[in-house]
Amino acid sequence: MKKLLSITLIAILLLTLIPASAMAQEPVTCQDEVTVQKDDWLSKYADKYLGNAYAWPAIFQWHNQAAEAEPDKFPNQIVNPDLIEVGWTICIPTAEDATDFLATYTEGVDCMGAAAGDEVSVLYQWSGSEEEKLNTVVKPLVDACGLEIVATTTRDAAVLDTKAKSTPPDVVFWPTTAPLTLYTDLLKDLGDLGADPANYAPFWQDMGTVGGRWLAAPVKADIKTIIWYSPANFDLFGYAVPTTWGELEALVEQMVADGNVPWSMGMESGPATGWTGSDFIQDILLVQQGPQYVLNVIDGTVAYNDAGVMQAYETYGKWAKDETYTVGGATGTVSTGFLDAIYKVFSDPPEAMMVKQSGFAGGEVAAEYPDLVYGTDYDFFAVPGARGMQGGADFMMAFGDSPAAKALVAYLAGPRGAREWAGVGFDLSPNRMALGSYNDPALIKKSLALAGAAGFTPDIGDTIPAPFGEAEWKALVDYVNGEDLATALAAAAAAQADALK
Amino acid sequence: MVPKIMKQGALTPWLYLSAALLIMLLFIVYPTIRTVTLSLRDKAGAQPATVDCVAGEPCWGVLENYRYALTNPEMLQALRNNALWILLMVPGTVGAGLLFAVLTDRVRYERLAKTIIFLPMAISFVGAGVIWRFVYFLETGEGAQIGVLNAIIAGLGGQPVAWLTNSNWMVNNVSLWIVGTWLWAGFCMTILSAALKAVPTEILEASRVDGASEWQVFWRIMFPLILPTVTVVTTTMIINILKVFDIVFVMTNGLNGTEVIANRMFKFIVTNQGRSMAIAGLLIVLTIPIMIFNVRRFREQEEIR
Amino acid sequence: MSPGRLKRILGRIPLHVIVISLVVLWLVPTLGVFVTSFRSRQAVRTSGWWMVLSKPPVPSQQEYATACASCHGADGKALATADLSDPEVVGEYTRTNRLLQMLRQEVDGQPHVQDAEWQALVQDQSRTKEVLDKLAPVGQHLAALSGGSLAVDYGLTASNWIDALVGYKGTTTYQQECATGVSESGKFKCDASDLLNPEGMSRAFLNSLLVTVPSAILPILFAAFAAYAFAWLDFRGRTWMFALLVGLQIVPLQMTLVPIAQLYSRLGLESSFFGIWLFHTGFGLPYAIYLLRNFLGGLPRDLFESIYLDGANHWTAFWRLAIPLSVPAIASLGIFQFLWVWNDLLVAIILLPGNPVLTYQITNLIDPRGGNWHLLTAAAFLSMIVPMLVFLAFQRYFVRGLLAGAVKG
Repeated sequence: MKKLLSITLIAILLLTLIPASAMAQEPVTCQDEVTVQKDDWLSKYADKYLGNAYAWPAIFQWHNQAAEAEPDKFPNQIVNPDLIEVGWTICIPTAEDATDFLATYTEGVDCMGAAAGDEVSVLYQWSGSEEEKLNTVVKPLVDACGLEIVATTTRDAAVLDTKAKSTPPDVVFWPTTAPLTLYTDLLKDLGDLGADPANYAPFWQDMGTVGGRWLAAPVKADIKTIIWYSPANFDLFGYAVPTTWGELEALVEQMVADGNVPWSMGMESGPATGWTGSDFIQDILLVQQGPQYVLNVIDGTVAYNDAGVMQAYETYGKWAKDETYTVGGATGTVSTGFLDAIYKVFSDPPEAMMVKQSGFAGGEVAAEYPDLVYGTDYDFFAVPGARGMQGGADFMMAFGDSPAAKALVAYLAGPRGAREWAGVGFDLSPNRMALGSYNDPALIKKSLALAGAAGFTPDIGDTIPAPFGEAEWKALVDYVNGEDLATALAAAAAAQADALK
Repeated sequence: MVPKIMKQGALTPWLYLSAALLIMLLFIVYPTIRTVTLSLRDKAGAQPATVDCVAGEPCWGVLENYRYALTNPEMLQALRNNALWILLMVPGTVGAGLLFAVLTDRVRYERLAKTIIFLPMAISFVGAGVIWRFVYFLETGEGAQIGVLNAIIAGLGGQPVAWLTNSNWMVNNVSLWIVGTWLWAGFCMTILSAALKAVPTEILEASRVDGASEWQVFWRIMFPLILPTVTVVTTTMIINILKVFDIVFVMTNGLNGTEVIANRMFKFIVTNQGRSMAIAGLLIVLTIPIMIFNVRRFREQEEIR
Repeated sequence: MSPGRLKRILGRIPLHVIVISLVVLWLVPTLGVFVTSFRSRQAVRTSGWWMVLSKPPVPSQQEYATACASCHGADGKALATADLSDPEVVGEYTRTNRLLQMLRQEVDGQPHVQDAEWQALVQDQSRTKEVLDKLAPVGQHLAALSGGSLAVDYGLTASNWIDALVGYKGTTTYQQECATGVSESGKFKCDASDLLNPEGMSRAFLNSLLVTVPSAILPILFAAFAAYAFAWLDFRGRTWMFALLVGLQIVPLQMTLVPIAQLYSRLGLESSFFGIWLFHTGFGLPYAIYLLRNFLGGLPRDLFESIYLDGANHWTAFWRLAIPLSVPAIASLGIFQFLWVWNDLLVAIILLPGNPVLTYQITNLIDPRGGNWHLLTAAAFLSMIVPMLVFLAFQRYFVRGLLAGAVKG
């Protein structure tokens, strides 16, 4: 009896060892094993070994698999793809393995336990063709998991507020981080929903974190500190793209001397009239005062009627109020629609030479003038001398944590969603996993500009709680229409103090 | 006094009233009470409004939000604008409505004419915004004027005008009033027309036979008979104009001197509840004179019966 | 024709003139957008709607004749190597800046432009802006020679209406998308079933009807009873309740949304038709009662006295007297309530997500930044059809003389 028992025990022990040994995977094949030197990046290795800098996720994941399989050979797992330490040994996959891996990597869609027919309610500001783009991006998820997305479109913060207080939507996409402060207790931590913070650069994570909880992930970004122009017209007149602010001012004077109107400005935008002007002012602040000054305005340390802000307004006003510098002068600036202002630069013959506008302007030009070619007929250059990049982003936040909501959040914050987003061309995706998936040359240029930016400055009017933004626009419109600058800014400064109280 | 022609039980009125009263209690009275309560609290509704008092400046205690509503420069502009709107637009729309009702009554194509005057009411505010955008459009570059008004002005050799973004605030307000009158005249016309139809024809015929001119027939006989309805229409228009919001929001958002009370209220509705509710409370207070006037007329009419 | 009759007709002319001019004045803004809804985007941006029946301006041929015709010929075909009637050749140069850039270059070692005056102009770097303006008609003429693909289309098109109906939100038009019979983006089936597209107007239309009809009938029902009570019944607190009725009309819609939405959420009514019917009823009641009370109160008391003498009570008086005689007022109320609910957007978004109504679908046609706004021109009219039909249908209740027989009898 005892003998039988001991044999049985040994057999059981042996049996348990088998799965354990099976789990210790087969050794992973490495094309090469590199020791990290100073200034090495995963993308550098990808470029060298795989021929494509954007294939670095393959190294990222492959190495971690190798580290799990052979912990003595590769003692360090990569937690943050930006942080690899000197001295580490990294396993580089073969080109074949990398391609295979990337193919499966992007196929995967995790339904997070959601059943077919599960509903996820979503609220966002997108409508028309933008909503169509979003639908294209989430189509793989919807098809794979059978989810039903019940969407509400509204640009009204009051609607979001009412819904948040009664029946909050599962997921919200909003162009400011205002909901973070307003509904902190109602929002769920995105990490708990399966999103990976490592996919976002630290400054993005900071923007979306309140009280140690990561509540907002940016899904869409656009850069604002750029000026659109027609390279064909510049060639014709012999203009060079300016690299310093002084060169820009000289270029403007040169344009005037040639009989051209340098700027096209249009602030009219229905209920949001004034936003193009406030973007311009903020870019001027980045040139004249720098990003820290802008951040100080945002948190209230610097009042809105400070000398620095006044100087920026005066610089802007010199151009915006004068019809030699901008189409229609002050009346033109205030009454022209922002889309019409963009078109004026690319009409035939052109009514102006430059328009300072965010990245989306390229798409609008392409839609209005299908015969124009990006790069030859329309292109952008960064505002010269700007220390930092102003931008806008749409943030994903979650009020609910049902499996369907988790599936959506994890998808968009993960590699597949990022790649779809970039592929569809729905502006830039701040998700690291999107790099390498853009098809649109304009977007590629913009994404490089964003990636290379020294610092990302949020929009003043979007970050200070409402209704400061509208007070800012009012000050701007009044000033351009002839009101005294000090009076106009004093009112805005009062609104700033009031909003930040 | 209500003529006691018929016997009624003590319960009868309440049978007729209860359904409506209950619904109104829930959907209007309850939110109104909540509005007033929240107007006495701070921006998030958690503490009394007194916490918003700044040292060294006047403070009205719990009524601090009302102090803002009555003294802030933007609010004063809004109050001024609403007052002007009422003074100019109410007579405008009611007068226009009356004019249309009387005139269309006498032509054979009455239905067509009334339909066209009423058409603007059927168009949602989104549509009305698009329509007037086209009328007021200003082209500042080298293109042709595609807005009707500026095209006419340019055609006559003048300088096109910025109708909604003018540096003169009066121009902007007049542009909005025109839109408002265009929208609401049809409303007034419809109700006044219904009242006119109720005037017995025999009385009118009799007075015509007696030799009264059309003008006298209108002023001496028709008008007094429809006066109660005129009161109702005027009251409704005053209330509508006090809380006017959509036209201003869509076309100018209160910029260039066109601010109105409801727009101010809307601006704070998410970020500073107390203030937003206080502005709504102010609107309610402004309605009190209208309520008093209506009660007086109500009593007068009862006396006559 | 007798002098009397002539005098009467002449006397009525001022009346007709006034009425017709007022009607035309009222109609012009709407007419403008109605015409615009049939025009293409390009046409809308470059000319006013009243130009719709005129032809687009023909580019001047003079510049081409002076600068180019000597070598290229009047029809552009004189040079075999540079056939200007071939779109492939000309396509690159219809934009004036490209044209000028090309003209500045030499051809076979010679300046491109032979005409001396033009040659000097083209080569003068300091007068580039002036030259661009002068060359513009040449570019347009080239476009005309090679098939006129860039000419602005002044013709009428139904594309805005079709796009709005099927819910097409792309950058071209539904017709172009389905030109080959198969939808390029895979979104449409390119046959009649696209009219039932959930993003189009059809389902939204049904939802709007489902929301509006009960929301128009219910308030009238409740208001009629309450108005009768205010007019002909006596009860304590009549006066101050009437005052309240006036005051409650001022309450802005936004004030009522949060508490009601929260209440509905607790009761489980958050996305229900019943909830939205009740809300619209509640919000419309003060005004409805106020209006109806005025009409009911204006009825002569003799009528009630006579009916009482016949042995009726309030219930009979209500149904057989008050309601039939205030039909014009009820019709007015019905129209207004219908309109107000039909055109509402805010309440539908908050209380009925997931069942888009027409107004919602219309605002969803345009991009958040206003692109594709030309679709609004058609969509707004599509939405207006039903309220106008309701108005016309109810016009027959605006009949004079309902009281006439009653008084006599």
